[in-house]
Amino acid sequence: MIRGGRSQVSSPPAFSNDAKRLLVCTGNTVSIFSTSTGLQITSLEGHTAEVTTVIVEPAASKVLCYCWTASLDGSIKYWDFSVPELLKTVDIKLPIFSMVIPSLLGQPTERNEKQHNVFAYVSVEDTREKTNPRKKKQPKPKPKPLHGRICKCNLTKACLAGGVTLAEMKVPEVITISPSGKYFGIRKHHKVLIWKVPDVESERVVMRKITLRHTKKMTVLAFHPTQRIVAAGDVTGRILIWRRFGDKTFATSERLGDGNMMGGDEERPGVRDNDDADSCTTWHWHPSQVNVLNFSSDGAYLYSGGKEGVLVVWQLDTGKKKFLPRIGSPLLYFTYSPDPSLSSMSCADNQIHLLKMPSMEILKSISGIKLACSLPEGYEALCSGIAFDQTAGLVALRTENYCIQFYSLLDDRSISEVQVCERNYQPGDDVTVVVTLVALSQDSSMMGTAEIKIAEDGIGGLVCLKFWATGSQNKDFSLSTIIYEPHRDAGISAIAFHPTSQVAVSSSYGGDFKVWVNHDQFQQKDPMLQNSGWSCHAVGSYKKKAMTAAAFSADGSVLAVAAETLITLWDPDKNVLVAVIGETLTPIMSLSFVGKSENLVATSRGAKSQLSVWSMSQLSASWSYMLQIEASAQDTSSFAALALLPESLRCKGLNGTTFQGRDGVILLFNATDPVPVASWSVRKAKGGSLAFLQVNPSSIQEYISDGKPPQTLLAYINADHEYVLFDPYGKETHELSVIHRDDLQASEESGQHGYASIYGELPEFQLNKKQAIWTPLAPTEKPWETIFNGSSHNLPPLTKLCSVFLESLLEKRTGVVE
Amino acid sequence: MAKELPPKTTPGKSFLVKPKLKPKARTLSQTPESKYWSSFKTQQIPNLISSINSISFSQTPPHLFAAAHSASLTLFSSQTLSQHSVISSFKDVVSCSSFRSDGSLLAASDLSGLIQVFDVKTRTPLRRLKSHARPVHFVQYPSLDKLHVVSGGDDGIVKYWDVASENVVLDLFGHKDYVRCGDCSPVNAEMFVTGSYDHTVKLWDVRVENSRSVMEVNHGKPIEDVMFLPSGGLFATAGGNSVKIWDLIGGGKMLYSMESHNKTVTSICLGRLGNENGEEAMQYRILSVALDGYMKVFDYINMKITHSMRFPAPLMSVAFSPDGMTRVIGTSNGSIFAGRRKKKENEESGLVNFWSIGRVEEPQKRLLRPTYFRYFQRGQSEKPNESDYLVVRPKKLKLGEHDKLLKKFRHKEALVCVLNGKNPENVVAVMEELVARRKLLKCVSNLDDEELGMLLSFLQKHSTVPRYSGLLMGLMKKVLEMRAEDIKASDILKNHIRNLKRSVEEEIRIQHSLQEIQGIISPLLRIAGRR
Repeated sequence: MIRGGRSQVSSPPAFSNDAKRLLVCTGNTVSIFSTSTGLQITSLEGHTAEVTTVIVEPAASKVLCYCWTASLDGSIKYWDFSVPELLKTVDIKLPIFSMVIPSLLGQPTERNEKQHNVFAYVSVEDTREKTNPRKKKQPKPKPKPLHGRICKCNLTKACLAGGVTLAEMKVPEVITISPSGKYFGIRKHHKVLIWKVPDVESERVVMRKITLRHTKKMTVLAFHPTQRIVAAGDVTGRILIWRRFGDKTFATSERLGDGNMMGGDEERPGVRDNDDADSCTTWHWHPSQVNVLNFSSDGAYLYSGGKEGVLVVWQLDTGKKKFLPRIGSPLLYFTYSPDPSLSSMSCADNQIHLLKMPSMEILKSISGIKLACSLPEGYEALCSGIAFDQTAGLVALRTENYCIQFYSLLDDRSISEVQVCERNYQPGDDVTVVVTLVALSQDSSMMGTAEIKIAEDGIGGLVCLKFWATGSQNKDFSLSTIIYEPHRDAGISAIAFHPTSQVAVSSSYGGDFKVWVNHDQFQQKDPMLQNSGWSCHAVGSYKKKAMTAAAFSADGSVLAVAAETLITLWDPDKNVLVAVIGETLTPIMSLSFVGKSENLVATSRGAKSQLSVWSMSQLSASWSYMLQIEASAQDTSSFAALALLPESLRCKGLNGTTFQGRDGVILLFNATDPVPVASWSVRKAKGGSLAFLQVNPSSIQEYISDGKPPQTLLAYINADHEYVLFDPYGKETHELSVIHRDDLQASEESGQHGYASIYGELPEFQLNKKQAIWTPLAPTEKPWETIFNGSSHNLPPLTKLCSVFLESLLEKRTGVVE
Repeated sequence: MAKELPPKTTPGKSFLVKPKLKPKARTLSQTPESKYWSSFKTQQIPNLISSINSISFSQTPPHLFAAAHSASLTLFSSQTLSQHSVISSFKDVVSCSSFRSDGSLLAASDLSGLIQVFDVKTRTPLRRLKSHARPVHFVQYPSLDKLHVVSGGDDGIVKYWDVASENVVLDLFGHKDYVRCGDCSPVNAEMFVTGSYDHTVKLWDVRVENSRSVMEVNHGKPIEDVMFLPSGGLFATAGGNSVKIWDLIGGGKMLYSMESHNKTVTSICLGRLGNENGEEAMQYRILSVALDGYMKVFDYINMKITHSMRFPAPLMSVAFSPDGMTRVIGTSNGSIFAGRRKKKENEESGLVNFWSIGRVEEPQKRLLRPTYFRYFQRGQSEKPNESDYLVVRPKKLKLGEHDKLLKKFRHKEALVCVLNGKNPENVVAVMEELVARRKLLKCVSNLDDEELGMLLSFLQKHSTVPRYSGLLMGLMKKVLEMRAEDIKASDILKNHIRNLKRSVEEEIRIQHSLQEIQGIISPLLRIAGRR
């Protein structure tokens, strides 16, 4: 089994002490990436739930590679991540959402002299209360029980410090610690709570706490590395900076210049109520919620970022700003490394950018699988599908920034991105352009995409069909043909490629389908025929019904197009209707032929959703199930379907503990047999996708610990684009462990000398500039319909029209059936 | 040499607002040859009286050309296409003219039957050849003979003149109708062809005793023009709607009949592709003009029409300069379309070289090396050395005015800016971008009266164009809804609306008639589909 596609941005990453490695929480594991190559080196595996915190133990020598991790499975683990090896586990049995260890940031030498207890402060969710609420007798039944709490944990003795609960919240909050390790704080609604870490740690030391108030909900918190300054961001985009907080409360332990101690209320501008701070200033640039707030390591600058995807650098003394714009995705975290010239920035689109610091230049991007794009109301039905490159093990995903991302399922990394629409994506803006469909041909040399420009108040809507082709050497797709409004203004429901020749079909909700032919192959024969793009070969419709799905048979001799509830079978070359079979109860959403067999799988969605298998030889239904099918995949003789569990069954399943939070089932069928061969239950099935991958056995040999590598793998991608690959036919599930190559590490160790160490590497010059893509365009309509369209002065003379018209009569026949 | 650090890379790219791509024709819209023929920059010379009966070029540089119109013969310079001089000592309408091979004499005939020979420089009539009883439509100097002239008249007689003595050497009988055209062989001084309205072309040889035609071919229509092809073995005839190629050596066999004109072909001439010093191979073409206003270029080797060009009047005559630089077409309404190719650069550069010979060679500068003191004092204007490592400054992205405004989110200004421009595609592209930003309607509501007028006139012009109508029709409706008050208040805007209404009505009428056509065609289609 190969798992992957996890979110890299669920929690902040951490740099190793030599800043050559980046530790990223990816689901249940911590992945370690090289900062120089951007590739994964190794991973720390051991947690059974999502890892929420990773803290690298600072050390004077750069060789030491120890880190603490905390996870939702309620354990804290201590690792040597250079090996990687698990050293210690502390189980506190409560899901940990955040953890800080102040003593690590103090003086490490002190610790070495005599063995102190190491204390961590953890933000946990108290699940005990929820599971057996009757045992604890609460004096007042609160409307909202406070589940989140901040606890203290003795890591040396591996237990929670008894009875110490610093704060209680409705939901567990993220704890922020100051770089000096003297203070830590949380945000709680409109307040910021700050504690001072006691000088001498013991289990029951009294913690001093101050509260800073604001009128808006706070979102993020940051401490100045040296001075007592705290910055906080709120939902409206304001950044508040309190200077000299805690003068009164924390003063006893820390001697300050007495001259500054005024105590007069009138001397504290901007500070609310009786809050313990000297002054509070507000900066407002961000138009929406501030997500990122971080002081630079010397404390001169403040980095902030938010939903709009711009990193802002504030000069702390003057308030002057510098920007890194067009990141293209909301920012989530900003982390700086021990190396002052390197820092990282995590974005919501599952990317981590490594920044070269003073110039804020993006050095490398570690991009994970992109998340499914959100769609405006009413357009969800138009979008569907994730395309798979079955031989190379790639998946093509539509992303929010008008790209198609190619992601390698076997290597768990992003291969390339193809910009489909020439637009800049701005995170916060209304969605006006959506890439709705992506389809790959069987040899994945061609790609078809469909996009919709959403009309403003009924004007300016546009549907575009684009065909892409790969160059012979590189895997990059280049635009071959754009077709504006291929089916007038109707949306495209499906694109399917012919398995062998350069033919594609697009079906539309407007009631017709078109067969497109690429003229590439004729180019050599006739030099006068310059147009190498795709053009319309035939148009078909059936009783003006919306065409909802299309598929070619394995040998390409039959084209099946779903006309709402019926399936129409066509000869794609002659464009002749061969047969009509049907019907299903609700409109068909997808069609697919099962391998080379004579069976056609149709899935329909709606009130009476259905999975039905049709026999082509008898032209009738073989068998069907009333199941809501989310996706299906075909192998040579069998197929797999991802079925959503009905609501009733899901409730029942909870009691029977068969489906714990799982809402879908993958069923593997033999096409002739209605009894499923195998089934697997899965989570987050809504919006998921399935595919069989015909993988070259040698390429996955290294992933398999023992046994013969399987010929085919079934890939399942869930709604969050996490995926799993497994052998559907295997008797026992092969436990495929991802072994990452260690040779990636060797290359990055070579240090830089001389010029390069001072000024950095000379930039590489790309001598071969990308040539402008010449994109021909095919006429979108039937010729005999368009030649008479338009005003008379645009019409060519009758002599020209006549020949075109008659020619069109000779070449094409519409198979309109009334 | 490193002066500048590479600029900060930003993750996003900036995409310009571009108009939609246009479909490319399946075949090339312009073959290299049609590109050549359209490279003649056509210039109209108007205001000549009556139709241009004949145009002839002088064989010697500077290649003057003579246009016969009404009762005068105008000489033009083929370099500047300006009028050089006028010969007007004619009693009747001038029908034909011909330069002698050395370009010093010019023979011209008129409808009174008189043929005059002029000195081109002084424009004085030197000889008057008077023998034809009826109007003469054809006179020509043989290309290899300076002493004789051939003429043909409406009396059906072809005459061979000795110019010096003003005597007819030979009267050639045989044509049964008007002789309207003829041509002398390019390889033989004694042979020529004449074409007549009796549908025949006769080949004459003055060496033949009995003054009979050597050969005769029948075109089938009254012959308007006849021409030898450069080899002398082929000739072309024009009559009716067709141009026919005949093989002379093969005994008068017809090789090809080109019938692509819709009306009578009035004149043909020999065109040449490429120039002598160019690397393109010299190829000859037949240029034919007809009353349907088309000039066609015919490749008589591949027997194919290679170019076709339309003029706004019936065409009467055509001529092509011997140097291949000028093409002149005369029309029936008294204007000349003269086209001239641009001179190649190398001719001018030759001139520069001539002048640069005299320049004094400057002493060569000593190469700067890092060991020299001056090496460290180089200024900003210092040119990079070959061995220097050049830090390439990235190319600056050129932004249009509207792109700049859109980048600054000044949406209305961007819209007004493109409306001021000429290109409707850009306007539509900016409108589409505004739709994508959900700002188009806001822009429309913010336009002031003058800008609204601009928008309305744009909509009036282009909303019925099929490529834009999808967007513009909807927009027009919205504009009228939103700005009804403003439009009512202003007379200018009302005027625009009136125009708009008119063009919409026009479009509706067109659509109706197109639907009628569709109604006729759809049964045909149905039958074709049932096949």
